[in-house]
Amino acid sequence: MSDLDKAIAQLRACRLIPENQVRELTYKARELLIEEGNVVGVDAPVTICGDIHGQFHDLMELFRVGGDVPETNYLFMGDFVDRGFYSLESFLLLLCLKVRYPDRITLIRGNHESRQITTVYGFYDECIRKYGSANVWRYCCDVFDYLALGALVTGATTNLEPSAAPFQSSDTASQSEQNSYADQDIEIEILNSAGEIMSRFPRASQQQAPLSPSKTLPSSSPIAPSASGPSGTGATSSSNGSRTSNSGAVLCVHGGLSPLIDTIDKIRLLDRKQEVPHEGAMCDLLWSDPDEIDGWGLSPRGAGFLFGADIVKCFNHTNNLSLIARAHQLVMEGFKEMFESTIVTVWSAPNYCYRCGNVAAILELGEDGGNGGFVPRSNGDIGRSRGVLNERNREGPGRRYRVFEAAPQDSRGMPAKKPVADYFL
Amino acid sequence: MSDLAKSFAATKFVPPPPASALSEDPESHYVSDSSSASSMSSTGTLRPTTGQTPSGPSITWNDYFTQELYLEHIFDNKSRAKYHVYVTPPDTIKAPLFVLHHGAGSSGMSLALFARELKMLLPDAGIISLEAREHGSVVYDAEGNVNSDLSIDVLSSDMVSMLKLTSAKLGWPELPTMLLVGHSLGGAVVTETAKSGVLGDRVLGYAVLDVVEGSAMDALKSMQSYLSARPKSFPTVDAAIDWHIRSRTLRNLASARASVPPLLMMIPSGVWVWKTDLSRTEAYWENWFSGMSSKFLTAKGAKLLMLAGTDRLDRELMIGQMQGKFQLYVFPTAGHFLQEDLPEKTAEAIAEFFRRNDRNTLVLPPKVSDLIAQGKKV
Repeated sequence: MSDLDKAIAQLRACRLIPENQVRELTYKARELLIEEGNVVGVDAPVTICGDIHGQFHDLMELFRVGGDVPETNYLFMGDFVDRGFYSLESFLLLLCLKVRYPDRITLIRGNHESRQITTVYGFYDECIRKYGSANVWRYCCDVFDYLALGALVTGATTNLEPSAAPFQSSDTASQSEQNSYADQDIEIEILNSAGEIMSRFPRASQQQAPLSPSKTLPSSSPIAPSASGPSGTGATSSSNGSRTSNSGAVLCVHGGLSPLIDTIDKIRLLDRKQEVPHEGAMCDLLWSDPDEIDGWGLSPRGAGFLFGADIVKCFNHTNNLSLIARAHQLVMEGFKEMFESTIVTVWSAPNYCYRCGNVAAILELGEDGGNGGFVPRSNGDIGRSRGVLNERNREGPGRRYRVFEAAPQDSRGMPAKKPVADYFL
Repeated sequence: MSDLAKSFAATKFVPPPPASALSEDPESHYVSDSSSASSMSSTGTLRPTTGQTPSGPSITWNDYFTQELYLEHIFDNKSRAKYHVYVTPPDTIKAPLFVLHHGAGSSGMSLALFARELKMLLPDAGIISLEAREHGSVVYDAEGNVNSDLSIDVLSSDMVSMLKLTSAKLGWPELPTMLLVGHSLGGAVVTETAKSGVLGDRVLGYAVLDVVEGSAMDALKSMQSYLSARPKSFPTVDAAIDWHIRSRTLRNLASARASVPPLLMMIPSGVWVWKTDLSRTEAYWENWFSGMSSKFLTAKGAKLLMLAGTDRLDRELMIGQMQGKFQLYVFPTAGHFLQEDLPEKTAEAIAEFFRRNDRNTLVLPPKVSDLIAQGKKV
C-alpha cells in the first residue's frame, strides 16, 4: 500500500494526515493542476457535484450514492471548504484522490477557494485549530490558485439508459408510468439515495410546448418535460432533423457567466493562477447567478452578475453547448433546471450548515455509445437562422439526478456551539 | 493590522490637535487597540497634549457633523415631538443621503466616527444620524405626557418623520436618494422602514450592522443578566469611557470619547447615570427582532449585512445568503459596535456598497434582444 493509498484510507476514516504529508500532497497536486487548462476537458460518463462546504460525512454519503473513485468519474464544481466542520478532511481527501486518480476526478475552483473568503468563513480557523498553525491553510490556498475555472464535458448521450432500479415503492402511479416509458427516450431520471426511481421523464418533442411539471418534480424546479403527445411524434418531430444520440457539450463552472466572456476560448485565455479577484471575468465565473431577468443584472452578493435566459441561450448557441451545469446557490431540492433546461444548478451539501433542511443532488451524464464518442464542434453558423432566443441549439444530455439526504452526524470534532451574542441591542 | 498601524489608523479619527502637539511618536497618540486592557488603565497618559482636560467630554458633535437640529412637530392627533438629529447635508441635489440609526441605549454619536470616515470617502454625500425617542428625541402625547412607546413600527415612523422634517427645515426640493444604515436595534428600524416601502424609490438600499434575528432571540434570556452586570453609575464621564474600553464593549478609545458622554446624565448626587433605562425596554425586544430576517430578505433595495466576530446567520439568512440574496461582510476583529471599533473599514464597506448600487453610474452590459434589435450578430 503506497503512502498515498494510506493517506486516502486515513482521510476516509475522517482522520487527518500529518502536516509534512499535506505539504507533499499539495506540492504534487500543484504539479498536476498546472498542466490543466483553465477549462478542463472531461469525457462522459461523469458525475457532476456541487458545493460540499466541509460536510465530510455527507461527502461520504455522496460517494456511497454515486459510487466510489475511481469506479465513478467525478467532477466537483468547487466550494469544498468553509462553513462545515470538516473542510480539511473533505478537501484533502478530494486532493488525494485527484493525485491518485488524476483522470477520474476533476476539481474546479469555487468562490470559497480563496484566501480572503476562507479567513472569514471557517477554513482558516479550522486549519489553526487542527494543525496549530496557518501552514496547512497556506498550502491549501496555494493549490486553490491552480484549480481550473471550468470543465467542458463532451460525449454525453442525449438518452439515458433506463436504470433497472425499481420505482420508489410508495408511488404506485409511477409503476405504470415505468412501463409506458419502456420504448421512449428518457431525458431525465431522478433517483433517491436508495437508488429507487422517484420520477422519470421521456424526452419531449421539440415542437411541443412544455406542459407543467409533474407533481413528483421538485416544486421550484422549472424543468418541464412533458408527457409524450400523440404516439409517434417523439420519433418524427425533431426539428433538428434525424435524431442524434450525442448532445452538445456541457460547460461546468462554479458560478456562471460573465459579460466579459462570450466564448469558452476567452476563459482559456485568462491568467487563473492568482487569488480570486474582486471583479472581472474570473470573479464573475465564480460568483454570478442565473436569474429570471432579461440580460444582465447587478448581483446582490456584491460580486459577479445576474444573467437571464437570453444570455444563457446565446452563450450556449455560440459555443455549441447543450447545457451549463453550475453550483454556488443553495437549492432546497438539490438541483434546479432553469431557462428550458439550458442551465442547471447542482447543490451537494445536504442540510447545509447542519441547519438549512435541504436535500442534495448529483448529476450523472451518461456516455454516448453510438458514435464512438465523436462530438461535432461548432463551426459557427449552423442553425443560426432559427434565432438564438427561440429554440434550443441542441438537445440536452440525458440527465440522471441522484438526490440524497444528510448522513447521520458524528459529533466528534465539532467545535463547541458558537458563542451566543451576549449583547445585541 | 499591527498595533502600530492600528494606532495610526486611530489617530485619523481624532480631531487634529494644534500643530505643536503633532508627534511622530505613536505612543503619544490615542490608542485604539484595547486588546490589552492595561493600556487603558493609564488613559490620561496616552492623551496627546491638546489642552483637553481629563474630565468632561471634549469631543462634540461638530467634529463630525455640520449641524445639529431639533425638529419640533405637532401631529394630527395633537401629540408633539421634539426630534434630535445630527446632519451634514449633501453637497448637491443629486448626491446621496446616508441615514444612520443607532442601536438601543446608544445615541447618534455612536455613528460619529463612521460618519466622518464616510464623508471623506464620498465628499458629496449627505449624512444624517437620527436619535430615537428615549435616546435624545422625545415625543409627548396629547395630554403632554412623555410617550415612550418603542414598538418597531413607531420607531420606523419616527425615522420617516425625522427625514421629512429635516428635508423641510433644510429646504430640500425632495428627499435625496437614501441609503439606510442601522446598527443593532437601528438595523431592525431601517429594515422595517425599507419593508414598509413608505420612502418608495428614494431608498437605494439598506445596511444592517451586527444584528440577526435568530441570534438576537437566542440572546434574549441572557440580556437582563448582562444589563444588571453593568455599572449603574460612574463618578465621572472619563470613568464611563474607561469602563466601556476595559469591558471591551467598545474597542476604540477615540470613538468611546465621542459616543459615551451623550449616554450619561448627571444626577443631583453628582454621579453620572445612564440616560436610557435599557432593562425597561425588555417589553419591546421580541417586537424589535421577530420577523426581521424575512423583512430583510424581502424588502426592496440592495441589502448589506455586516457582522462582527463570526457569521451568526440564522437559518433563514443562511439560506438567503447561499442563494445570493444579499451581501455579507464579516469583521472578525470587531466587537458588537463595529462602526465604532472599525469606523474606517465600516465606512469603506458602506461606500463600496453605495458605489456598486449607485443608479447614476450603473451601466450594465446590453441585453441580447437589444443587440439583435441593433442588427448586431449574436
